[in-house]
Order: sequence, then structure tokens, then C-alpha cells
Amino acid sequence: MKMPAVAEREQLPVQQAREGKPEAWDILFRRYQLPLYVYVFELVHHEQTSLDLVQETFIAAVRHIGGLRDDAKFGSWLFGIAHQKCLQCWRKQNREDVPLGEIPETPDELESGPDDLLIRQEQEAEFMQLLNRLPLPQRSVLLLHFVEDFSIEEIARITETQPGTVKSRMHYAKRALRKLLEEEK
Amino acid sequence: MKTPREILFVRHQTAAPKLDAIRREVVEAAADVNRRKQPVRELTFADTLANAIRLSFRELVWPCRRIWVGLATVWVLILAANVSLREQSPAIAKSGPSSEMMMTLKDQQKILTELVTDRSAPRDVDRQKSFSPKPRTEGMEIMTV
Repeated sequence: MKMPAVAEREQLPVQQAREGKPEAWDILFRRYQLPLYVYVFELVHHEQTSLDLVQETFIAAVRHIGGLRDDAKFGSWLFGIAHQKCLQCWRKQNREDVPLGEIPETPDELESGPDDLLIRQEQEAEFMQLLNRLPLPQRSVLLLHFVEDFSIEEIARITETQPGTVKSRMHYAKRALRKLLEEEK
Repeated sequence: MKTPREILFVRHQTAAPKLDAIRREVVEAAADVNRRKQPVRELTFADTLANAIRLSFRELVWPCRRIWVGLATVWVLILAANVSLREQSPAIAKSGPSSEMMMTLKDQQKILTELVTDRSAPRDVDRQKSFSPKPRTEGMEIMTV
């Protein structure tokens, strides 16, 4: 399967979905099902739970589409629902506390795109391992950046944090990843 | 060399059939909800009127139907009595007034005309009593004394 390097911003039938057209929902869900699953799975690490959470996200989207003001923000809105579902799942299972604001400083440097980090085939396994070792808030931010190339503001909206906090998390997560990849070289 | 996005997507590609099934299920459910929301047909004025009548009958008449039946019976009885009385009254009208009745009527008319003529012409004495002008100053003098 040919995979685009970064997520593309396309014209999506959000208005038709709001009007209740099932074909529109099919197009929207087809577009976001895999990115959502990737995001959720990399946070919860359980296949069935991830599938359930994606389904719950879709159902919630159908129910609450009336609350979406800006059609262009459908993607971030959908990921916001999924993020909330993940938080509820964590709280229910009480497996892990979600530490917030663990990084005090905001770096001044501008973040680069999701493609600046290129990984060799032999590094893929290590990349995944390191990604899973990252603290949840950093992992969440990095996944949103990799999977959908969301902007800092969009990630802040999805995770309900300040853009400065998102910047910090992204910076430290990327630095940790680069460090590992350089060590592997 | 691959981007992180490519690595992640390839890694989870195996979940695609399950995700397709979930998508179809949710879309079908959304279509069902949408079908239920849509009205079957546009309501005409006659439909609305019929609905209003049906509703008011169900809400107002049916719960106290015994009272309504009682009231209807009373009205039917009143109507029947009215009709039967109307049938009797023409017979009375046809017989006409008797000679005695005519005599008393004439007597009463005479008394009435006499009374009316007496009152219409007032006596001179009454007229004098009713008007006796005096100069205004007299009245004023009495007041000052």
C-alpha cells in the first residue's frame, strides 16, 4: 500500500455528514480509521481495547457532530474525542497516572515537520521501543504530530493543554528519539 | 529510509479489516438513526386538523365520557320538550280572544286615557307655586343679618 509521507488536508464531506448522509460518514471514517487506531493503540497497547475505543469515537462523532463549528477542524475534533476516550480508559483501569506539566521549560526553537526524522529499516524496532518508553503526554503529542501532522495549536486543543506545554513535550520527545537513533548509528 | 508515519501505518495495517467492519457497523447505525428522524410524508392541513380533532377528543371527551353523555341526554330532553310545546301553541293562537276579555281590555284602555289626560294638563295653582321670583338683594340681606 502506498502511504503518503504526511497526512494530507483534503476536502471532506463534513457538512453532508452533519445532514445525516451515511455515505459522507463512510468517507470520513474511512479516511480516519487507521490514523485513529494507530494513535489509540500506541497509547493503550491493547488491540481489542483500541478497536472498542475507535468504535466509541465514531459513535460519539455521529452523535455530537452538531457541536462541531468549523468543518476544517473535523480531524482534530475526532482525535480530541479519541483522546478523551483514552483518558477515560486509563482512569477506569487505573493503570497509569497521566502526569501533566512534567517539563518546566518551553524551548524557543521552532519544531520541524514530522518527516525530519527518517528511520532506517534496521532502526524501526528500536524506534518503536523508544516511542513506547516515552512518558504518555510526550508520546501522545509525538503520535499526533507523526500520524496527522497536526499543528501545535491543534495538538493543544486535542490534548486540552497549553500550546507551550505541547511545544516542550514535542521538543523533549524528539530530542530523546534523535539521541537514540544517533547512538544506534 | 522511512518516516515515523510510514512505520506506524505499516505496523498496524493488519487491523484494517476489523476497522472496516467497525466503520460499516457505525455507518449503518447512523443511517438507521437518520431514517427514523426523517418524516414519512409532509402533513397537509386536513391531516393537521384531523390530528387536532382526534387529540382533543382523546384528551377532553374520552376521559369524562359519562358526563358528556349525561349532558347530551339532558339537551335531547330539552329539545324534545321544546318541540312538543311548539306543537301545542298554534292551537291556542287559532281560538282567538273571548268577548269578556275584549270588554275588560276596553275598560282598562279607558281608565288609562283618563289618567293620561289629567296629568298632561297641569293646574294654574301649581304653576304659581312653582315659580315666585324675588330680587337677589333680599336674599343677600337675610344672609348678612
